[in-house]
Amino acid sequence: MKRRDFFTNVLLTGGAIGLGVSCGRKIEPSPAKTEVALSNLPSGDGKTITEPAKQIPILAETDVLVIGGGPAGTAAAIAASRAGAETYLVERYNHLGGLWTGGLVLPLLATHAIDKQKKAKQVIFGIGGEMSKRLKDLNMSISEVNPVIDPEAGKYVLDEMIREAGVKMLYHTWGANVIMDGNTIKGVFVESKSGRMAVLAKVVIDCTGDGDIFHWAGETYDEMKYHIGLVHRLGNIDRIDTEKPGYTKMEIGQPTPIPSVNWVNMHGQNDQDGVDMLNLSRLQMEYRREIWESVQKIRQTPGYEQVFLLDTAPQLGVRMSRIVDAEYKLTLEDTMTYKAFDDVIGVSGAWTTMLYKGKKVRKTERPYWQIPYRSLLPKKTDNLLVAGRCFCFEQELVEDTRIIGTCLITGHGAGAAAGLAVKEREMVRNIDTGKLKKLLTEQGAWLG
Amino acid sequence: MARLKKIAQRIGLRGLSTIVATLLAIPFAWGGLIGFYAWLSPFIMLNSVFLLKSVVWMNGVAFFVLIITFFRKRWFCRYLCPVGWSCDLVSSCSHRKNFSVQKIPPLGKWMALSSLVAAFAGIPLFILLDPMSVFNGFFAVFSGEMTIAAIISLLGLPILLAAHLFFPGIWCAKLCPLGGLQDEVVQLKKLINRNRIIESEPRQKADSGRRLFFASGLGLVAGLLLPRFLQSEKRNYICPPGSVPASIFDKLCLRCGNCIKACPTGILKHHTDSEDITAWMIPEICFDEGYCLENCNLCSRVCPSGAITLFSPDAKRQLPIGLAEVEIRDCLLIQQTECDRCKTACSYEAITIEAEGGTFQMIPIVDPEKCVGCGACAVICPPETISIIPSGAI
Repeated sequence: MKRRDFFTNVLLTGGAIGLGVSCGRKIEPSPAKTEVALSNLPSGDGKTITEPAKQIPILAETDVLVIGGGPAGTAAAIAASRAGAETYLVERYNHLGGLWTGGLVLPLLATHAIDKQKKAKQVIFGIGGEMSKRLKDLNMSISEVNPVIDPEAGKYVLDEMIREAGVKMLYHTWGANVIMDGNTIKGVFVESKSGRMAVLAKVVIDCTGDGDIFHWAGETYDEMKYHIGLVHRLGNIDRIDTEKPGYTKMEIGQPTPIPSVNWVNMHGQNDQDGVDMLNLSRLQMEYRREIWESVQKIRQTPGYEQVFLLDTAPQLGVRMSRIVDAEYKLTLEDTMTYKAFDDVIGVSGAWTTMLYKGKKVRKTERPYWQIPYRSLLPKKTDNLLVAGRCFCFEQELVEDTRIIGTCLITGHGAGAAAGLAVKEREMVRNIDTGKLKKLLTEQGAWLG
Repeated sequence: MARLKKIAQRIGLRGLSTIVATLLAIPFAWGGLIGFYAWLSPFIMLNSVFLLKSVVWMNGVAFFVLIITFFRKRWFCRYLCPVGWSCDLVSSCSHRKNFSVQKIPPLGKWMALSSLVAAFAGIPLFILLDPMSVFNGFFAVFSGEMTIAAIISLLGLPILLAAHLFFPGIWCAKLCPLGGLQDEVVQLKKLINRNRIIESEPRQKADSGRRLFFASGLGLVAGLLLPRFLQSEKRNYICPPGSVPASIFDKLCLRCGNCIKACPTGILKHHTDSEDITAWMIPEICFDEGYCLENCNLCSRVCPSGAITLFSPDAKRQLPIGLAEVEIRDCLLIQQTECDRCKTACSYEAITIEAEGGTFQMIPIVDPEKCVGCGACAVICPPETISIIPSGAI
């Protein structure tokens, strides 16, 4: 053999031998670190005392009892009453509208979404739509899409609508415990300046936002720790002197229907327990101080001397706490694919960007999404409905389910269902969803 | 059944193979099978193995083909090669019936040899000319938007085919490095079989031996010297997770587009760089519409050259491709607008929203230790104020 032939072939076989000595190639994960679970901080030292049993006066025996007068509770009470049921509404503060008014979270998100023709469409109708329209007629809301309202006007309008619907209003009253007969809820103990009383009802709607009622009734639920904030408002925004020497631009929040007033959102501390009273008390005090100091800083800035702290919100901004386990869990996929439900009770909109299957879906591309009646029906308890931010959905959806618009929709649906159940003498679990849809449509709701 | 057999006979095994190859090359939800034909090419496999000095299980497919070729001359060309089939089809339409490829030197053989030797030293010289790579690259353009790089990738196959109108049969016989490799393997067989057939033309044989010697020597020199000239700077764009270092990647990547076609979120694009021509058409991540999924390793599974190292989905946390950077000035939280999208989008708990200077003003903070640069936060950010800056490759 020639030397060069030999050389050529040696190079080639060398490569082939290289194959033999080579090793497999794949990147595997290194062993994961074990995470140490954080123990819950103890509240109290575990001591208890027995409360003596006592007779509780029955305040009323009614058809429908709604606990919580936020957007969901108010819409539910109005819908039930309009459907012909005698309705009681229990509210712990002195106003209706919950976080929308008392929490100073003024924008009604999300009134619009994209329809199947890829056009922006209004989706919030029905009782929520009526509220929005009345506020607009009063000149107390700005912008057509996601209107920002005046909180006092909101409280006034909601009061008027409750009055017109003939709902019996119990302000300054807390739901304190459930009255159960086996798996059926029979009413709720309420607590107030008048002491503990019972309200018996054929149907109870849990609109507490934190799901206090289903928690007491023994339902299972997800617990979600989320950031809690405290909104405040600034006055004299129109008297800021931008010409003044030393003026620098400060963040002073977003406009409200009152030209001289802005509302200022707060993200607040992360991963907070929204149903721990000690925690809420701590946050309340910390936030009030932070807001005060921040407003002082603004007032010391040249040009901002006239600006003042109008108010901090009467309600702490608990965004999420409990999510009930109901007959159906609404999924992210449902909301991205125009999923149609036989038992649809309403349609809600979208206000922020989402990820779906790894891809970006801008708020201007987000489909409207139906909410099924089953997602308001807790699994165990009979004659209990859940509306508002604690109805049943995947946590990925939380940005769209916890907002005012969705609460108005689920509230309306639950109220109408309760009214129908009373009228038909059916358990809420067994009502004819065809009739429910008809009733909702008559009440002005849009079902997609 | 008989009818099917008849059709099969009419189309021929290679015709059927071409149909299968085309289907698998079209950007369709084939998962790990996308662009499978590139795994069949022993030329790609040997280049990859010689350069990386390591194997993945899928290399076994091409090794199997290599062994068959050892016993059956040009087996791959005759029964499987979709490019060969297309070339023959175009050649049959050519008017230059009297054109003979006999006079043209066997460039493919030399390219194959020098490429393999060079690969051993650090640069697989002619890997881009592999027919499977050219074939798959043609279909990559249908997976994404038209860019100059994508069009260049598209042009390879049509140019090759058009050449056959003027020089029928030239590619398979003389130019194809994969074909050349197969011929060389048969030579090897003759070497092992001592009782060779007596050379009818000893003069020509000696001649070709000299040329092959030069080819391999040239490959060795090129492999040792060229990488120094082609050393890439640090990338200012993002490559898929598990990518080998830029200096090797640019040379090893086949530009077959398999990863671009396989990516379920469609974030891989052909790269164009006016500065560095050697990096043209390699895959680049653009976080415009999607992000790099937490549990996905498709690009590494379909990469026939090993430019993207195979990794298990669980290892993704250890394969950072970049780092999220927030332009705080445009963050919604600064404007006291409701948002925490980046924090919720992050699967690696790399973003926290923290107080700035003890006030209620909160801002997103990125933990560079935890961030892998998957881009979820950048994609979801409503004011689009988060960007991913590239980190060094592994």
